[in-house]
Amino acid sequence: MYRQTGLRSATVLIILATMAVWTVYGSFYSREIVVEIAILAILAISLDIVAGYGGMVSLFHGALMGVSAYGYGVATVKYGVHPLPAAVVGVASAAVFGTIVGAITSKTAGIFFIMATLAFGQMAYTLIFQARWLGGDDGMAGLPRFDFSWLGVNMFNPQHFALYAIVLVALVYIAAALLMRSAFGRTLEGIHSNEPRMIALGVTTWIAKTRAFGTSALLAGVAGVLAAQHTQFISPELLHWTMSGEVLIIVILGGLGTLVGALVGAVIFVLLKHEVSAMTQHWHIVVGLVLIAVVLMGGRGVYGQIERWITGRKTPGVPDA
Amino acid sequence: MKNTTVSALALTAGLFGGSAAMAEITVGMMLPTSGTYAALGQEIDAGFMLALEEAGQQDAVRIVREDTEARPQVGVQKARKLVMQDEADVLVGLVSSGVLGAIRDFVDGSQVPLIVANAGNDEATGDQCSRYITRVSFSNAQVSRPMGEYLPTAGITKVYTLAPDYAAGRQMIDAFTAEFAEHGGEVVGGEYTPFAQTEDFGPYLTNARASGAEALFVFYAGGEAISFVNQYGSFGISDSLPLYGTGFLNSQLYLDAEGDSAIGTVGSLHYVPSLDTPENEAFVAAYQERHNKLPSEYAVQGYDAGRVLIEAMATGADDRESLAEAIPQVSYTGPRGPLEIDPATHNVIQNVYIYEIVKEDDRLTQNILATIENVQDEPHGCTLGG
Repeated sequence: MYRQTGLRSATVLIILATMAVWTVYGSFYSREIVVEIAILAILAISLDIVAGYGGMVSLFHGALMGVSAYGYGVATVKYGVHPLPAAVVGVASAAVFGTIVGAITSKTAGIFFIMATLAFGQMAYTLIFQARWLGGDDGMAGLPRFDFSWLGVNMFNPQHFALYAIVLVALVYIAAALLMRSAFGRTLEGIHSNEPRMIALGVTTWIAKTRAFGTSALLAGVAGVLAAQHTQFISPELLHWTMSGEVLIIVILGGLGTLVGALVGAVIFVLLKHEVSAMTQHWHIVVGLVLIAVVLMGGRGVYGQIERWITGRKTPGVPDA
Repeated sequence: MKNTTVSALALTAGLFGGSAAMAEITVGMMLPTSGTYAALGQEIDAGFMLALEEAGQQDAVRIVREDTEARPQVGVQKARKLVMQDEADVLVGLVSSGVLGAIRDFVDGSQVPLIVANAGNDEATGDQCSRYITRVSFSNAQVSRPMGEYLPTAGITKVYTLAPDYAAGRQMIDAFTAEFAEHGGEVVGGEYTPFAQTEDFGPYLTNARASGAEALFVFYAGGEAISFVNQYGSFGISDSLPLYGTGFLNSQLYLDAEGDSAIGTVGSLHYVPSLDTPENEAFVAAYQERHNKLPSEYAVQGYDAGRVLIEAMATGADDRESLAEAIPQVSYTGPRGPLEIDPATHNVIQNVYIYEIVKEDDRLTQNILATIENVQDEPHGCTLGG
């Protein structure tokens, strides 16, 4: 069962504070890395809700992020909508897409569920890839950022933008933690550990699963809008299944079903990617080796393992399978 | 560059013997060095370095290289890095039109001059033009239009067209069709083949033969060009349906892979290594000496990107704004003939050569049939010319 323990709060605060310090005192490049971590962390947190707590391993969270980014892009570039309502459009389109796919796939489980989500993700990818109106594989450029100048924040200053990204991570984490502590989160965990019993208790499990998926998609949509505002350019690459695969790796790396692990995983993944790729093109091998080590150690993830060492008990919420 | 940095560098140089030349201009080089387009990136880079060497200016610039992977998303990240972290004074390169389209707004907004060394999408010097973007390579329409003018003079008035189904393919065919019609020609049919997925061109060639056309006009580039020309050759229709195309079809870079299938095919291009001018002979000799092969149009595009930059620097330009001002005013006669930048679009104005592939001394080479001089694009919505 999800608990926001002191250790978890401390870990989140330390990571976010370190990112903030790095943003303030770092170079342009470190700010880029902070934003990259933020985008992946938000996406990983949203995936952890369904994969870690709901046991629904999704391979289309990249597509959710992309749909939101394109929602934002179409609203701003094609229809000239103000960025704030356009962001709502983006997040809402991801939530709607996630809810629909969640409803359709809610009766499947295991490998079938994974394949179904993969198929929906690739479908969205192909549609956007071939849509000439959306720029096809050339993507769409000229996406605006928010205008927070009335707050004294210049979103075109890389430092301000990175701090804004950190604030978004904090908000998404708080939202996810509150959600997992609510009846909604407990129901989801209940379904994961014993679905027949939840049905016997009178829970309509497919509706609960669908709601979980929609909520997760909504948070993934936040990552999509942030990614779109960051590069101010979007292409179908955002929706490709390899993106979804990367996020899944991040969650497993950090610790499935811990929420904090998603954040830890994003930090490790992005740092590994940048540090190792500076030395060799084969940084995927290093990430792969780390992932194998993590899985062989019991699959608790880096954070899950540390938590176990410190608290000396089984991490709550880790799937048994 | 800031004065304080310069004097600090001068002081350091003085302390350590003073022989080290100072890097005045930082060039952000954006080329694909991995993936399908890596070979093109290499040629452009080699041409660029040759221009610096020839002018003895290797030490006048500091080059920071970034791999765009020819992927728009990656290109945007690399452009941001070069401009904001490396503080590049000028960006050079871009093979993929997709990457150019993706970074266009960023380049325009951050007011950094960009010299495009390949990417040919018409919009970049059309309705999407920018005073900071100068293209020394070509525009899609610029290369294919001259063929529309040439074909009727060669007695061909009915043509079937083929091109891959993506933006560049459509632009090439549209520009050709319009020009061809203006000179009394007629496109009797045509098809767009799925981009990068078509392995068997047989059905398309069969349709082309049945269409009653006198010739085939196609746009294919890279791996598709090689497989198309090879399949066309083995189809054995070169007598009844001669093959014409933009020169990317049978460019110097692909001749070895295409072999005898390329003989008799006619292309239109802004550069071929067999051009008989003193400027080109000197260039070909210098390039061959270093790389032991003939330069392709990509090498020349890289060379001209470097030469335009050097000539702009020679006018005293030494920062983003002054370079952006000076680059479009450069003109000279180089390997490909006279070269100047159109003030109305910042696209290059250049000759386009119509050539046939022939075999001489057991070696495939280009025999120039016609020269369409000083080909210039219409502004197409670009307002740089006022």
